[in-house]
Amino acid sequence: MRIDFHQRIFRDTWFITGIVLALLFAIAIILGPPLVPFDPWDMSFVPISQPSATHILGTNDGGQDIFSELLYAVRNTAAFGLVCGLIALLIGAIVGVTAGWMGGLVDMILMRIADILLAIPAVMILILTAALFRPSPWVLALILSGMMWPTISKAIRAQTLTMKESLHVKAAAQIGAGNWYIIRRHLMPELFPLYLIGFAAKARMAMFMEASLAFLGLFDPARKSLGMMIAYAVKYYYMDIWWNWLMPPIVCLSLLIMTVTFLAISLEKVLDPRLKEALGS
Amino acid sequence: MSLEIKNLSVIYRDGSHSIQALEEVSLTLAPGTCLALVGESGSGKTTFGNACMGLLPSNAEREGEIILNGNRIDHLEESDLNEIRWKRISMVFQNGAVNMNPVYRVVDQVAEPLIQRGHLNRAGAMAMSSEALEQMGVEKEYHDRYPHQLSGGQIQRVLLVMALILDPEIIILDEPTSALDALSRTVVSDVIQAARSGNKSVLLITHDLEFAMRNSDTIAMLYLGQIMEALPAIDLLARPLHPYTMALGRSYPAMDTARDLGGIKGDAFYRLVHQHGHHDEDAYLHAHIQVPQSSHKDGHAPPTGCLFQNRCTQAVERCLTERVGLEVIGDHTVRCLRHGIANLLELKDVNKKYGKTFALDPVDFTIKCGEVFSLVGETGSGKTTLAMIAAGVLKPESGKRIFDGIDMDEWMERDYRSLSRRIGVIYQNPAESVSHRFSVFDTVAEPLKIHGLTGSKSEILELVKKVLGDVHLSTDPAFLGRYPHELNMGAIQRVCVARALVLNPSILIADEPTSSLDPSVQAKVLKLLLSIQIERGLSMLFVTHDIGLARKVSDRIGVLLAGRLVEVGPANLVLSEPLHPYARLLIDSVCGKSREPVRHKTDKTGPDACSFATRCTLARELCYKKAPLLNEKAYRRVACHFPLTAG
Repeated sequence: MRIDFHQRIFRDTWFITGIVLALLFAIAIILGPPLVPFDPWDMSFVPISQPSATHILGTNDGGQDIFSELLYAVRNTAAFGLVCGLIALLIGAIVGVTAGWMGGLVDMILMRIADILLAIPAVMILILTAALFRPSPWVLALILSGMMWPTISKAIRAQTLTMKESLHVKAAAQIGAGNWYIIRRHLMPELFPLYLIGFAAKARMAMFMEASLAFLGLFDPARKSLGMMIAYAVKYYYMDIWWNWLMPPIVCLSLLIMTVTFLAISLEKVLDPRLKEALGS
Repeated sequence: MSLEIKNLSVIYRDGSHSIQALEEVSLTLAPGTCLALVGESGSGKTTFGNACMGLLPSNAEREGEIILNGNRIDHLEESDLNEIRWKRISMVFQNGAVNMNPVYRVVDQVAEPLIQRGHLNRAGAMAMSSEALEQMGVEKEYHDRYPHQLSGGQIQRVLLVMALILDPEIIILDEPTSALDALSRTVVSDVIQAARSGNKSVLLITHDLEFAMRNSDTIAMLYLGQIMEALPAIDLLARPLHPYTMALGRSYPAMDTARDLGGIKGDAFYRLVHQHGHHDEDAYLHAHIQVPQSSHKDGHAPPTGCLFQNRCTQAVERCLTERVGLEVIGDHTVRCLRHGIANLLELKDVNKKYGKTFALDPVDFTIKCGEVFSLVGETGSGKTTLAMIAAGVLKPESGKRIFDGIDMDEWMERDYRSLSRRIGVIYQNPAESVSHRFSVFDTVAEPLKIHGLTGSKSEILELVKKVLGDVHLSTDPAFLGRYPHELNMGAIQRVCVARALVLNPSILIADEPTSSLDPSVQAKVLKLLLSIQIERGLSMLFVTHDIGLARKVSDRIGVLLAGRLVEVGPANLVLSEPLHPYARLLIDSVCGKSREPVRHKTDKTGPDACSFATRCTLARELCYKKAPLLNEKAYRRVACHFPLTAG
């Protein structure tokens, strides 16, 4: 794409912070579970023990290794968030571009559906579904994505409408470019910042939502989650174990959300030549 | 007395090479008229004059007939010819003083034909020539001087006297004005007028178009020894039918042409005819091409096809292989396969509605091959709408669009890309008409990629570099990788021009291409556009609100008022003598002579009133009732009930 792309992006502090965090999390997620010292479901250790050489973060009230638990929880939460973000982005982008590009009746119908979804509180639906039907996390992820795409699609539709009227798109159409070419070459790159923002916002929201649902105990209790870990740890806040039991999941959740945000900001900056100039790097 | 030339061909032999100077030229000099023979240098004008006088050099081979008053004179012996020369046909040779004997006084030289042919005695001849010289405005004191002591104007007068002294019936003037200033030219004019009223015939050989136009009845355009067009003199600039005539007209700096000098693209062929190869079977006659970039090997072109084809703005495939004869169209005689200057784009009764309001009432106009047509008018008059309809971007409500003889709407449905390839569009705002995510290379290469015309990356790069060179932009890789925000407006607009040109269109549609540029950049971009238009022989539709600008670029102008064309015609006529009050107002307001008039309130305005009626100082009853239609008047079309008078 751009010759100096690599040079520029590696001079960006947002990107460096983001990518370091992302790499750490990636290692934890991909390599963690197979390499964890103990089975996180194994309850055979001494409950509520302080961190030691064997149990890096000690054990919880059920006698499970906290470190192993944390690795599995990060994996679940991150996966839930990323999957939700991706699905919401996919639906939002397709709906937004279709509505904006085609206009007319299609636009009207799609946008009314989006309006309806925007009016329904996602948390309530998720809590009700989770409580009543006890579906698998993936079904919940799908439901959440299905509720989150309207804001993305609205932004993308608006930008599509602007682009459709822009002179360079008209020029390309005059030259004889087909719809697909224009969407691919003119629209998609122009929408890229919106994808990043949309994806980051939705992934963040989904991670937080997952943690919240788990905190409320609406997930299978056997499924490790940062929210669930926090919920259990909070019960023992009066004991002197908050720093090794309560803090790690909270820090991990915050860092996860920050990673996504940092990467989105830095990529947007690098991929938009004008923004890059304005931000001066 | 008349001189008739039939199928005159002249070939100059020179060793194995020969030059075809004239090819089947037929012309008639009727009594009381002046025929002007016009063409670029090397077109065979002087050869024609010399041939009429029987003065061709010995290496010239001549075919055809020269008939004086019904008698052929082309095969006469030298002695018989001498009887005719000077007495019945005389000629003023070009280059002035070179034709005179430097060691004789001028009065002696004028008297010489009187003594030799007029059989006068010396004293009588001297008196007569002295008198004739004085009549021509050469004062007595100069009569005894030698040629080098006279000025160019005086020499020309002396030569005219020499030619006229025996009162010939046919006078041939070879470039009589080339050495003369505008004032001295009137002498030649007077001689021609006198000859015409004396029922004599004049053959005026010149490259001075304006002089030819003012002093002759008919003009024959000579190109490489062929007559391309013969036309009434008054039509020369206003209504040429051959691309060569139009291009020459554009190249000539006449006082009343508004446009900058144009010129004709490319160079003429050399009509060298020679035989190639050592074996007879290889030998064939062919013409040489002077231009280096010839498609034919060794710069040779086979002797087929139109001679003007390589410089023509409307050449088609068949022009390369077919050579056509002269054809009578109206009062013109034209040698063109396409029957004169063709229409590239015709709009017929196109209109456009936005919602319920008409942005364009039915409008029709045509853009000819190789011309620049400007649309001028106030903002909101529908200029851009009309331009975009012409470009095929907008679809008219109804009406027909014909591009190069084919219905545009059908063409668009069948194969939009093959049509869009021939139309290049330049937009008003350069910064917005390119994507800020596209580098210079991406932008210029985009049309090539969309059309998929060239496969390999290096080929695309080559084409992009070539077209960037054409618009005077850098072609180094660093520049190709630049993004629009790193360039200035002028450079971006050039990139846009390059993008419009990269597919080799036949027409450029430029919608206010310079309105967002500052004056110095505007001047550069405009010059660039015009030079490209000439070099590539493009047609151009130029949309602008700036009449001053339109004046500099247009061959023809259309004035648009509230979605209607109110005046269409040659730029110089419309701008110098507008017939429509609105056109007058636009021009005057540019000069600061008048300002936007107050709309006078009236209850007379009907639904079909002339859109200008409420602002028009000349509006009468009829104007409020009925909108005028376009009518032919003085070489243009005007939509006004009471047009201003020209002049």
